[in-house]
Amino acid sequence: MAAVSIRATLRGAQEGTVEPRVVERDAAGGSVELHGGARATLREAGSATPRQVLIQPLDRPGPAAARRLEVVVDGWRFEIEVEPEQRAALRERARRDRGDASHSGPLEVRAIIPGVVLSVAVAPGDEVAAGQQLLVVEAMKMQNELRASRAGTVERVTVGERSTIEVGDVLVVIE
Amino acid sequence: MATSRSEAPPAPQSGTPSLRKDTSAPPFRRLLIANRGEIAVRIIRACRELGIETVAVYSDADAHAAHVRLAGAAVRIGPPPPTESYLRIDAIVAAAVETGSEAVHPGYGFLAERASFATAVEHAGLAFVGPPASVIDALGDKLHARRTARAVGVDAVPGTLEPAPVDQPDQVEAILAEAEAIGFPLLVKAAAGGGGRGMRRVATAADLPAALAAGSQEAASAFGDGSVYLEREIAPARHIEVQLLGDADGRVIAIGERDCSLQRRHQKLVEEAPAPGLTREERTHLHDLAVRVATAAGLRNAATAEFLRAPDGRFYFLEVNTRLQVEHGVTELVSGLDIVREQLFLAAGRPLSEAALAAAQAAAAPASHAIEVRISAEDPGRAFAPTPGRVTHWVMPAGPGVRVDTAIQAGERVPPDYDNLIAKLMVHAGDRPAAIDRLGRALDETEIAGIQTSLPFHRFVARDPSFREEELSTDWVAKHWEGAAEQAAAAGVAQLVAGLHALDVRDQAGALGRGVATGNGSWRRAGLEEAADRWPR
Repeated sequence: MAAVSIRATLRGAQEGTVEPRVVERDAAGGSVELHGGARATLREAGSATPRQVLIQPLDRPGPAAARRLEVVVDGWRFEIEVEPEQRAALRERARRDRGDASHSGPLEVRAIIPGVVLSVAVAPGDEVAAGQQLLVVEAMKMQNELRASRAGTVERVTVGERSTIEVGDVLVVIE
Repeated sequence: MATSRSEAPPAPQSGTPSLRKDTSAPPFRRLLIANRGEIAVRIIRACRELGIETVAVYSDADAHAAHVRLAGAAVRIGPPPPTESYLRIDAIVAAAVETGSEAVHPGYGFLAERASFATAVEHAGLAFVGPPASVIDALGDKLHARRTARAVGVDAVPGTLEPAPVDQPDQVEAILAEAEAIGFPLLVKAAAGGGGRGMRRVATAADLPAALAAGSQEAASAFGDGSVYLEREIAPARHIEVQLLGDADGRVIAIGERDCSLQRRHQKLVEEAPAPGLTREERTHLHDLAVRVATAAGLRNAATAEFLRAPDGRFYFLEVNTRLQVEHGVTELVSGLDIVREQLFLAAGRPLSEAALAAAQAAAAPASHAIEVRISAEDPGRAFAPTPGRVTHWVMPAGPGVRVDTAIQAGERVPPDYDNLIAKLMVHAGDRPAAIDRLGRALDETEIAGIQTSLPFHRFVARDPSFREEELSTDWVAKHWEGAAEQAAAAGVAQLVAGLHALDVRDQAGALGRGVATGNGSWRRAGLEEAADRWPR
């Protein structure tokens, strides 16, 4: 059997904050022992102290052959997609071959927290600059401003004042 | 001990026929809790210990919540938004009357500091477990409290004493002049506020109008009152507060102080009792300042006077919270007093108990130490952004000197509609170093999955040398906590865990395919089967 490696990629709220990590059986230098429920112990090579962690599968939609796991380390919670490295590399090559079309599409501003829309600062047709406030969402009695991550023209605003929103809802589309 | 009679007129005792003067009987037969979450559970527990029947109220988001399950009866009061449920005075008072409740405990937050709520409860002939409406008015309004403090010679934080005219464009010049006189940076604060809501830090005059508008809007949303005022920012400062109890005879006592300096966005994260590093004289002086303000305002029942301690050691009065505080538990652990129990007896018109008076005597020289961390549904790696959602795995610590106040269990959803506090973890030990050791141990035992919580921050506090060395200030979090970096470091480990686990699953999926299943645990088995189906070999 050929040497297998797994690519572990952060998804969810932390997506993009840390580079994907490729874990190989031989080079990884560690083991994970499950204890039932979500409990597990990580033994890292070179570290005398085992770490208690939590690990559970997540039922989230993702690319075929990729699985999502929830891992909690020292209270930090992550959603991690695991995929055989070979497959991930194939997929990436295919995407590169298609060109960078995906980079110039409309920007969908999505809710990262559930809550209630307090105010909407833009309307369809408005030109917005990067960093400009789009709307204010109130969650858990705190006001959270959502800003444009890049400049463009507002194509759609799907929510209004007092709209209740859930995580992942599209709020504003910028062309 | 200050015992001067208050200037505020005593509430009409005849309006509360439920009062029991017999000291052996429970103070009330039945009590409604106008709150939710861990504090509703905390109050239910005190009631059950006293033989008081309990009535819960709940919104649709809480139909299956712990406080509903634990109460003797429960009344639905509306849909999830607080303005349509837990802030509805009419619905809550009606529920109390219809269920034959004799008293209402407001907890903290929601209606706890609304004088109109206390008035409505009193008018319905029920006892309000908290200061009377007149006192909530005098002390709950921060501007009123600041004026009260000044009148009895207690220094308040420098700032304005009247609401800023937010809605009058022609007054902009005047407010800017006042701001310049106070000096920048300053804080815009909500007169009706608490917990940092409606508060804005303003560094320059140019930012003031926007901060006033935003603060006023947030205050109106959170409290139904958009009044804001200006206060100088004292930095670095320690936040130290005094727990007060008062009876109908106008006698007010202090039963200890708490240091709540570790905050983010003016919301407390860690609280401890006693405040570290105070001399006996400083402690007694602080208690006296608090008792003076509270006595002047006619405090009854329970309240907390908050102060800032400047680098030169001076105390500046901030405000009085006329309610049970979130962090009352650390004072309970150190004083041995059950503050909610005392509140119930005081609300029934009883004088301050022997236990309370003894606790006040002992407060000058506390003999143990307690620390609380607020475990909340927030991401400490992303500026403590809210993270409501479903908790899938939940294990709280136990053992010597550990107390956990919570209303959460595995499988429950933390709704986005309310405060994000999900558990208060308290530890108690003979001294502060032992309490910190115990905190670290208890946090190691704590397991939460499904949502991100503030747990990593608390773990950091428990092992940080500056916290151990009592270097406390309200900017401690900004100075010491690098959440994103901590999170990124943990992410690398989590990726390793996920990768190693995926390799194991893949190997065993191969074994499973050959009929040699070795998985342990049902989800794991399910995972193996799924992996066998989906993963190419």
